[in-house]
Amino acid sequence: MTIKRREFLGRMAAGSAILTVPGFLTSCGIQQATAVADPTPENPFMSWFGVDQATVARVMSELTASGADAADLYFQHSRSNSLSLEDGIVSKASSNIQQGVGLRVVIGEQTGYAFTEDMTLPSMLAAARTASAIASGSRAVAPQAFAPKDMGGLYTTTVPWADVGIDQKLPVLKFIEEKAKALDPAVEKVSVFWNDGDERVMIATLDGNLITDHRPMTRATVLVTAKKGDEVQSGYSNIAAREEFGWYTEERLTRMVQEAVDRTMILFDARRPPAGEMPVILASGASGILLHEAIGHGMEADFNRKGVSIYSDMMGKKVAEPFVTVVDQASSPRERGSLNYDDEGNKAGRTVMVEDGILKSYLHDQISAKQYDLKPTGSGRRQSYKFAPMPRMTCTFMEDGPHTKEEIIAAVDHGIICETYTNGQVQIGAGDYTFYVKNGWLVEGGKVTAPIKDVNIIGNGPESLKRITMVANDARLDTGGWTCGKNGQSVPVSQGIPTVLVSNMTVGGENAS
Amino acid sequence: MPADLKQQAQQAVELAKSAGAKDAWATTSQSRDVEFEYRDGALEKVKDTTSRSLAVQVYADGRYSTHQTTDLNPERLGGFVKEAVAITRALEPDEYREITAAELFANRPENDLDLVDGTVASLDREQRLEWCEALDVASRAHERVISATAGVYDGTQLSASASSNGFVGSQESTYCWFGSSVTLKDHGDKRAEDGFYAGGAHVADLPDAANVGRTALERTLSRLDSEKGPTVKTTMVVDARASASLLGRFLRPANARSVQQGRSFWAALVGEQAFSDKLTVIDDPLIKRGLASRHYDGEGISARALPIIENGVVKNIYVDTYYGRKGDMAPTTGTPSNRRIVLGDQSLQQLLGDVGEGVYVTSWLGGNADATTGDFSLGLRGHMIENGLVGRPVGEMNVTGNLRDLFGQLEMLGNDPYPYSTTLAPSLVFTDVDFSGA
Repeated sequence: MTIKRREFLGRMAAGSAILTVPGFLTSCGIQQATAVADPTPENPFMSWFGVDQATVARVMSELTASGADAADLYFQHSRSNSLSLEDGIVSKASSNIQQGVGLRVVIGEQTGYAFTEDMTLPSMLAAARTASAIASGSRAVAPQAFAPKDMGGLYTTTVPWADVGIDQKLPVLKFIEEKAKALDPAVEKVSVFWNDGDERVMIATLDGNLITDHRPMTRATVLVTAKKGDEVQSGYSNIAAREEFGWYTEERLTRMVQEAVDRTMILFDARRPPAGEMPVILASGASGILLHEAIGHGMEADFNRKGVSIYSDMMGKKVAEPFVTVVDQASSPRERGSLNYDDEGNKAGRTVMVEDGILKSYLHDQISAKQYDLKPTGSGRRQSYKFAPMPRMTCTFMEDGPHTKEEIIAAVDHGIICETYTNGQVQIGAGDYTFYVKNGWLVEGGKVTAPIKDVNIIGNGPESLKRITMVANDARLDTGGWTCGKNGQSVPVSQGIPTVLVSNMTVGGENAS
Repeated sequence: MPADLKQQAQQAVELAKSAGAKDAWATTSQSRDVEFEYRDGALEKVKDTTSRSLAVQVYADGRYSTHQTTDLNPERLGGFVKEAVAITRALEPDEYREITAAELFANRPENDLDLVDGTVASLDREQRLEWCEALDVASRAHERVISATAGVYDGTQLSASASSNGFVGSQESTYCWFGSSVTLKDHGDKRAEDGFYAGGAHVADLPDAANVGRTALERTLSRLDSEKGPTVKTTMVVDARASASLLGRFLRPANARSVQQGRSFWAALVGEQAFSDKLTVIDDPLIKRGLASRHYDGEGISARALPIIENGVVKNIYVDTYYGRKGDMAPTTGTPSNRRIVLGDQSLQQLLGDVGEGVYVTSWLGGNADATTGDFSLGLRGHMIENGLVGRPVGEMNVTGNLRDLFGQLEMLGNDPYPYSTTLAPSLVFTDVDFSGA
């Protein structure tokens, strides 16, 4: 218990020392783990960031000296660690500490923003004055004290990453490599990349709330290069979650490695499908990329309050068949996109964007919610203290429908199945979106016939939604390490979907006539 | 400021040495960034920030690791560096991990790259607002405009590096960019969107803000009534802006790491006539006021012009010191700088006239390429080329092929290098390209 009363910044150094020294100190780390790590801190000001409540109140007062409809201080301390294995050895480690406070003033639709990495009073006051320059009114009433809210429990850990030594992680990387080599003699090179990290945020708002969140994150990636004769192919797989070390079971790791090897070996037999329009079956899981690009971004309310999204005038209208329901759900536990609170301090939860085919709700941050006279949906996110928040997705998925995967495949005479993806993109206004299919299959006469590879698929969001003619009952969230980029800010997200049929999309391919 | 940063970098190297590191490299950086965004006639966002960070690379007991922090509190810095050394020791030894050989620091160029414009630091609110207003008015001058966002982004970047084997250096540059993104009412629920941004190290080099706003509007107007193009094999003309990004994708696996790891279609191409003899690409870090100009790279290797492709023959790839040692290749530089492309002598209009029929690509949408095989498939927007002229706008199309083959099919280059990218690419013409659409 003593550890909790120590200044957080000091504790990070201590915890990290445990991380670095494989020997006697590691056992000390395990002892610590007997207590549940990170309950809502009794005094997050001091224990996490080394500032007192009066200081935060003083900075808030300076920040809102020229007026504010809303204002917040976003304190963040994150430490991420990475390891990489190449050519049989783990010979590179990296760490990154990001610490700072972002200060924001909102007046109507106007935002003033500044941040500082130096958490002393003079530096925070100077940043507050810079951010407040957007406003020119009279002083807002700033709180003298902040009421802490309960920390959410979506991803509590028993052992924080700071207490996991390199000596514990190293064998995991070795295991992944050896497994990959053992699975197929054609595997020539294996690279393994490991990431883990702890992030603490504390958000103090103008209306006197104080939100704290401890957000763990980890990701393991394996890259495989295989050779047959003169032909070289490579593929990869990764898994990610807001999880702790114990999540990496042998079974989970083996599944990831098997996937990477399978995806690589199939490329030797895969070809490009013919170019043009055809029915497209999206396999369950990672195909949630369709939702992310075809509708998710278009539903972020900043694009709608400006009228620039193709979905701006569709609220309440039918956009898909009645068996289509699309949800953004930050409250999915332990997923990469999970969040207890968003980065404005609003409770993050479940937002139904499309319910039984009807467009129901945008994803709101405070600014857009105010403009639409609605409650925020807890969708205000930011990459770090260096950025102002904006509406973003978290875990986006489609719920189960009435069909089966087998029925869907049997219904396609000539088309493709898309299975794994590398990336996607969308134009919010035109609604045109794309995703890149790394692996998939040809479907001919209702049967899966041959593997395909490396095609971009392009469609139009609202048109594709209308063309979802079948939805199976096998919905699942993908555990891949997806990151979403928007206006220069990256945030972790999750996505999922059951097997679905889109009756017509444009498939990149060869032998165009 | 640079003196302060330099001292801090040297101090970090000393700390690492005294914690037991054999060698160390440290870089401190500082930036001031100001952002003004204006939407539909009103100021929407002002962001003004100063950021600092320290990065340390540690070589100890034949092992290596790299660490970064924004916490520069001097009381905690010692602990941070000590820990960095301890982490390094927990890894496996790697005979190829060594600090950059001091010979590679020699002959560092001293020419004035002219990357600092003193007026950037003294830009005031009024000037930024004036640009925003000019951009805003010009980019909204059409009845179809739903919304336009104009932005001004400027700042100063400073960094200093020091190493245990004698490297000391600092670099400073300024930047100032502005432009607009425009959304127009199109048919049905659709909105046409595009934009245009210009910038550079010097304020004096910027085009007139109103002209930039007008270009943003014109580019967007040309997207109105865009439809899905055909599935066809035909000639592709890529405009200079889109060419810069295509060349970037093409050159991405041209490095020692990808080659040594067996994940590059550039493996074994050095010395080969691998691409069209029309193509010459030079990596040139010494261009005055260049967007990626420098005197040394991130490992301290002194900057020099590096031919990558000469008349289709691969001359060099990007080789850093680690993968160079591991893959038995002489280091060039691991980090691309400016890319100069030897130009053709025709304008874009002349190229289109020569081509007659085909697809003219103005931007990409998503897509990817397999670095190992070169297979690619990209979404695109553009126009049909009809009778040698820019015809109807098309979108919702893909172009698919293999990058190695594609750059063998490069037929012509324009004389119109795109100035607002680190790849100074002209318009490019490729034959026999697979498009998928309707």
